[in-house]
Amino acid sequence: MTTSLTIAREEWRQWRRSRLAMVSMIVFSILLVFTTVLTLIDAQEARHERLHQQEQAEQTFLDQPDRHPHRMVHYGHYVFRAPPALAIFDPGVDAVTGQSIFLEGHKQNSAMFADARAEARTGGFGALSPAKVYHFFLPLLIIALGHGVILREREARTLGPLLSQGVSGVRLYRGKLLALSVLIMILSLPALFSAFVASLSGESLLAGLVLYLGHLIYLFIWAGLALLVSVATRSRGVALGVLLAVWVLTVLVIPRIGVTSASAALPTEGKILTDMRMNDDLRKLGDGHNASDPAFAKLRADTLKKYGVERIEDLPVNYRGIVASAGEEKLTQTLNQYAEKRLTREAEQASHLSGYSWVSPYLAISGVSRNVAGTDLATHHRFLREAEALRYDFVQGLNKAHVEQLSYEADMNRNKGEEGWRRARVDAGNWQVLKDFRFTPDKAAIRVERALPKILALLLWFVALLGAGVYSARRLTP
Amino acid sequence: MMRELRFMFRDKAVWVWLSLAFLFSVLAVTLGMNEISQQRAEIAELKQLDEVEREVVLGKQSDWGSAAYYTFHLTYDAPSDFAFAAIGQRDVSPWKHRIRMLALEGQIYETDANNPDFALIGRFDFAFVATLIAPLLVILLLFDLRSGEQAAGRLRLIEASASSVRRLWWSRAGLRVGALILALCLPLLAAGVISGTAITTLLACAGAVCVYLLFWMGLTLWLTPAIRTGAYNLTIMLGVWLFVCAVIPASLTQIINKSVPLPDGGEIVLVQREAVNDAWDIPKEETYAAFMERHPEWAGYTKWDSEAFEWKWYYAFQQVGDQTAEPLSLAYRQGREKRDTLAGHASFISPATLMQRTIEGLANTDMKSAMAYEIAVRDFHAGLRAWYYPRLFPNLKYEAAEPTNALPNYNDAGL
Repeated sequence: MTTSLTIAREEWRQWRRSRLAMVSMIVFSILLVFTTVLTLIDAQEARHERLHQQEQAEQTFLDQPDRHPHRMVHYGHYVFRAPPALAIFDPGVDAVTGQSIFLEGHKQNSAMFADARAEARTGGFGALSPAKVYHFFLPLLIIALGHGVILREREARTLGPLLSQGVSGVRLYRGKLLALSVLIMILSLPALFSAFVASLSGESLLAGLVLYLGHLIYLFIWAGLALLVSVATRSRGVALGVLLAVWVLTVLVIPRIGVTSASAALPTEGKILTDMRMNDDLRKLGDGHNASDPAFAKLRADTLKKYGVERIEDLPVNYRGIVASAGEEKLTQTLNQYAEKRLTREAEQASHLSGYSWVSPYLAISGVSRNVAGTDLATHHRFLREAEALRYDFVQGLNKAHVEQLSYEADMNRNKGEEGWRRARVDAGNWQVLKDFRFTPDKAAIRVERALPKILALLLWFVALLGAGVYSARRLTP
Repeated sequence: MMRELRFMFRDKAVWVWLSLAFLFSVLAVTLGMNEISQQRAEIAELKQLDEVEREVVLGKQSDWGSAAYYTFHLTYDAPSDFAFAAIGQRDVSPWKHRIRMLALEGQIYETDANNPDFALIGRFDFAFVATLIAPLLVILLLFDLRSGEQAAGRLRLIEASASSVRRLWWSRAGLRVGALILALCLPLLAAGVISGTAITTLLACAGAVCVYLLFWMGLTLWLTPAIRTGAYNLTIMLGVWLFVCAVIPASLTQIINKSVPLPDGGEIVLVQREAVNDAWDIPKEETYAAFMERHPEWAGYTKWDSEAFEWKWYYAFQQVGDQTAEPLSLAYRQGREKRDTLAGHASFISPATLMQRTIEGLANTDMKSAMAYEIAVRDFHAGLRAWYYPRLFPNLKYEAAEPTNALPNYNDAGL
């Protein structure tokens, strides 16, 4: 052990003496600290703003005066998704999906106002976040420092004396790995910091820990790779070239090819196309605004029979409300059926894409990071589903008020002048059917479970690379 | 020269990097063309469905008001014949909408988006290969040019045998970069010919690739002197690449976004909704007064024919809803425009930005094109209003036969 420690200390001495190594470390540290702070501030601001907007939206809804309940169905409501605590580390899909949805009767809207749409387009990799710096760029630093750890001894002709002095290849490998480990532990501090800050705003320790450990393994994979190449090649130029090619392939090329492959293998149709295909189905349902739509003939007969009356005017309840409610129910079933189909397809695409994790540790870690942070596709889908549940609830709540508290007669005469308007309305107390909406991602355990296959892929890479490294180190010759 | 050429092709590494470049380029343009043909097919299908749908819907109406209420109109932004090279804004901004006569502000921000995971990771299109990967290939081709000869002990010999040292290295590097440009641009040109891209566009793009990669060549030659080892030089160049291709663009985005704050999008739709919904409760005169500011020509038609609901009033307050939200909406649009203009200015200090924006500009997939589509949709919606108002206000009789061929139709030119 002491030999390894000496070797590691010697490696650090080398790095400290090299201006290039020091400058690289400093630059990457600054980059990391900078993005950590900026993303932290942005996410916290967004969180406060969205929560505030949510409260405001609820308050305006409740503050509406007495009116016809169906007016409130069309008045609608807004829900906002506040970024989860760990979005300070990985903002994930939030930037491309948008984080607010307008909920209204008879319609499922998409999320609006994605940041990515309004962003200044400057090329490159888009806005930087700590996650991005970890996933994309820290491997480059590890490559720059790590590719030479054994090759330098070889090129300085110190490898021979070292080996002949009884320092085995494995021990040398262990020492170099130790040196890189120290570097990695230092580099991982901002991730730990983000996890800690997130835990202050209520994130579970499990999520923070898994996120931190996942990134640690990821960095170790690159260290393992750099060491392996450093052991197995004869020239630093070649070693760097090989490592760089691996980086370009796994970080830049394979993920994008995975995207194309996922969308080719599991094509989706856009929302508009789905909507238009759905129209045939919807037309069969009848228009909930039109109580005499033939589609509701059976409902009419059943209702009359239920109350034992001949005419809808004699019903103790408002038949127009009954139609609105039944119409909304059938419509929502159809909407949900199509929406679920789309969400399922997207989830399938995502899992197709994450299948590429086995060939690209980058895809694995970025998936883990989004899963655990609660900024992944699955969480977005959960948001859509919860928003839809809220929409259906308040619309049906208003329809219930329509049925029970507004007389059919007043309803029919609602367009007869000012007086008609005044009589066709219900008390504003009915707006209380709107529930508070505070979006929270799944429990940490569920999020971690979702990330499990990718964590497994990372572990496999880690073990394989370390194994191969030790194996080659054992055969190390000057 | 022939000697240099032979010399270059004897280097195995050169073969590796050049074939990678060729492979990437082929892959990028193929995937891009595939995506664009899918988008075209989707538009064609939508157009067809839209026509069928409209006939069905219009057949069921009995007045102009409900015809306007129930009829949706497809609008779309067809991809250009060079869009395969850069998917650009089409991944995040809407390029198709279904619009009807209601307040536009409630409709135009809807997005028919792809799987968000895809937009997050990005496309493997030619713009990506040329802007971000090609510079790495230039670096890999050139970093060891002189240091390698130095390490092999041939540097002095080679330099002594050349008439001009500078010209020697420049021509040797130029040969490699030239081969790289060929490897990248040949698939692009082939794809362009298949897609029917204008030759000037293709040449402009190839020219941009030339200039951009020559810039990287100069930078690499400048920063990789023979006195340093190859590994040292490569590390330095990696840092430079990271700085130019990631850190500077990201910082520019951050700075521009912070210095041009946008009105909150949700605010626009909220204001519009309040205005539209309040209209039911306020005296109709008030709505009409606001409406007549824009349309004095209908001032004589606001008398209530009966106490019943009136479509013309309904559409008047829809328009007033848009009018109320207009300052915010305009600020939102101008903000985005300003961000884009600033990004355009900033690109002169950021080569990667300049390159990306140039290709997207040539492909009409930049912010400008996305904004132009938005304007076209706005114009079309205005056209719809202009078509319906003369039917709604004088209360013309609905003729089911007329609308299908007479209704405004969206096409690429706007109206």
